[in-house]
Amino acid sequence: MREFELTAVVHLVRPAGRLARNLEELRAGLAEVPARALFFHTVQCSLRRPDAEDPPADDFSAWVNGVVQDRETAERLAFTSQAQGAGPESVRAALLEVLEAIPEKTRVARDAPEGGAFVFLAADSVAVPTGAVAHEPAELVDLLAAADASVWFYHLLEEPWFGDGSRPLAQWLRAANAGRLAAMLEECAAEALPLAALRRRVLGRWRRSDFGRRLARAAGRPEEERREAGREAVAGLVRRLRRGSEPS
Amino acid sequence: MTLVQVQREGPTLVERYREVAGDGPMRVLESLARRLRGHRLVMVNSTSTGGGVAEILHRLVRLLDELGVPTSWEVMSGDPRFYAVTKTIHNTLHGRAGVLSDEDRECFLEANRRAAAELALDGDLVMIHDPQPVLLAGLRRAPGQRWLWRCHIDLSNAQPAVWEFLAPHVARYDGAVFSHQTFVHELPLPAWLVPPSIDPLADKNRELSEAEERALLEPLELPAGRPWVTQVSRFDRLKDPVGVIDAFLLARRRETAHLVLAGGSADDDPEGSEVLAEVRARAAGRRDVSVLALPPDAHLLINALQRRSTVVLQKSIREGFALTVSEALWKRRAVVAGAVGGIPLQVLHERTGLLVRSVEGCAYQIVRLLRAPQLRRRLGHAGHDHVRDNFLHPREARDYLSVFARLLEAAG
Repeated sequence: MREFELTAVVHLVRPAGRLARNLEELRAGLAEVPARALFFHTVQCSLRRPDAEDPPADDFSAWVNGVVQDRETAERLAFTSQAQGAGPESVRAALLEVLEAIPEKTRVARDAPEGGAFVFLAADSVAVPTGAVAHEPAELVDLLAAADASVWFYHLLEEPWFGDGSRPLAQWLRAANAGRLAAMLEECAAEALPLAALRRRVLGRWRRSDFGRRLARAAGRPEEERREAGREAVAGLVRRLRRGSEPS
Repeated sequence: MTLVQVQREGPTLVERYREVAGDGPMRVLESLARRLRGHRLVMVNSTSTGGGVAEILHRLVRLLDELGVPTSWEVMSGDPRFYAVTKTIHNTLHGRAGVLSDEDRECFLEANRRAAAELALDGDLVMIHDPQPVLLAGLRRAPGQRWLWRCHIDLSNAQPAVWEFLAPHVARYDGAVFSHQTFVHELPLPAWLVPPSIDPLADKNRELSEAEERALLEPLELPAGRPWVTQVSRFDRLKDPVGVIDAFLLARRRETAHLVLAGGSADDDPEGSEVLAEVRARAAGRRDVSVLALPPDAHLLINALQRRSTVVLQKSIREGFALTVSEALWKRRAVVAGAVGGIPLQVLHERTGLLVRSVEGCAYQIVRLLRAPQLRRRLGHAGHDHVRDNFLHPREARDYLSVFARLLEAAG
């Protein structure tokens, strides 16, 4: 089986070449900026406050709330941009829908003070191999438990967001017969949790589940035994279901 | 021309920073440094003492060395004429009126030629800080080297003629780094943003014992029984010190407090002295307002003032980055600040502090914070964590290593 090395990430921020002084210019910018800018202003925010307990606020709603001081639009943008797993184009469309619901005149009137313009930025990712290498799924969870927030961010949020369906961590787990663990990670990642809460959720579910022991056991057995154990598990499930449907 | 010897005694910086910045970010920094093993970095600026750039280089050079990326620090020197020219460049890039004569340009070029001949620029990675040595990339680049220009200056109001003189020289670099998005000018090379950072180990930010704090503050004879609302800033109209007094006086109608306005003595800055006089006039006769003109090395006193304050203000009407905000947040203070420049990066409204746009807004938020100890605690705690994760020196070191990793990647 191939090994899997955990990767941390550092984001280098660069100007995306646009700025917005009011909600209309924000709308126009959102329509055109590259995916790397949408990523920086929505998804990447959670890495800037990895220990925050409240849901990560995106930069668009933070600016509309704090600088333009239009609370209602800020709330709508905040909710929309929390669609973590959605990918750049659907996030763009959803944000535009929020702003386009406001009449153009009003969008122009809702502006920032001088010096408070929103500058669109983009983030280039520098992947940093950590040297933490997993040889089997249970070991991977142990390594994740000790890993920096940027490792969680990279594998669970950034790669899927940019990946056009490619999720290297989940693919590796599935190839290692740990499909349920892969699915659990994907489910948790889609919940738009702050990173600290995401980590707690994943590790809590892992500890509560039987995944760990079963994976460790299964990893040491020959193929035929693993199949037999699978058949027994299915038969056991069928028996439990039958018992449940019998009248008491 | 000098090679700066950085102090290396005592516990390693890696371990000291690990205690304050946390293990995770330090491990990422160590992983990045492993990626750059085998490379050698040379830093170049124009002074080894005084000023923020020298302060951070003293830390960075040692830190990067400890991380296994051998780093040296060369300082270019010049005669008084050169320093007069660089002062003009500095001031005009900050927006003051002024021009460079042909003689000024020749003097600047000559000092750079001399530096190019004398400095040991023998690393494969070279990082030039600020405009003084900016010509070196064009004069000394060797095959295989990657050159980065790090501009610490606020260029948002730069005099076009001076920037146009520098820009072709900046264009000879492989990349440039600016502190804030508003400082970036169009260049034919990649430009990244690396926000400045504070040093949690420095006198201005380190933990103080109660006894230290008392000893520092007692001579000021500020009222001990009332909450302090403080702004630490240069006496500069863009920091709006008169607006701060007005906001405080509005707040004072509803809550008891004492305002402390502390800043440099402004002896060498005619405009600063003028503003200080205006501030003193506005505060005249008020026993609940103290105006303190501090010496430039009053780092411990500023630390104590910020720590003792209930609310810290930074009511700027235009800003570069305003690291005083990070300093206050690091000390878990509740911060009210103007929504301009780099402040909204540090003050996330209602999460790590409160942003305001007017005198009345500032007064309202001061009253709100004075009445709500739980809100102060929540904002202060979140603000400290936000600074720990984003605005400490190890993060700046990490960003520089990432930029070089990126430049090396691009070079194949």
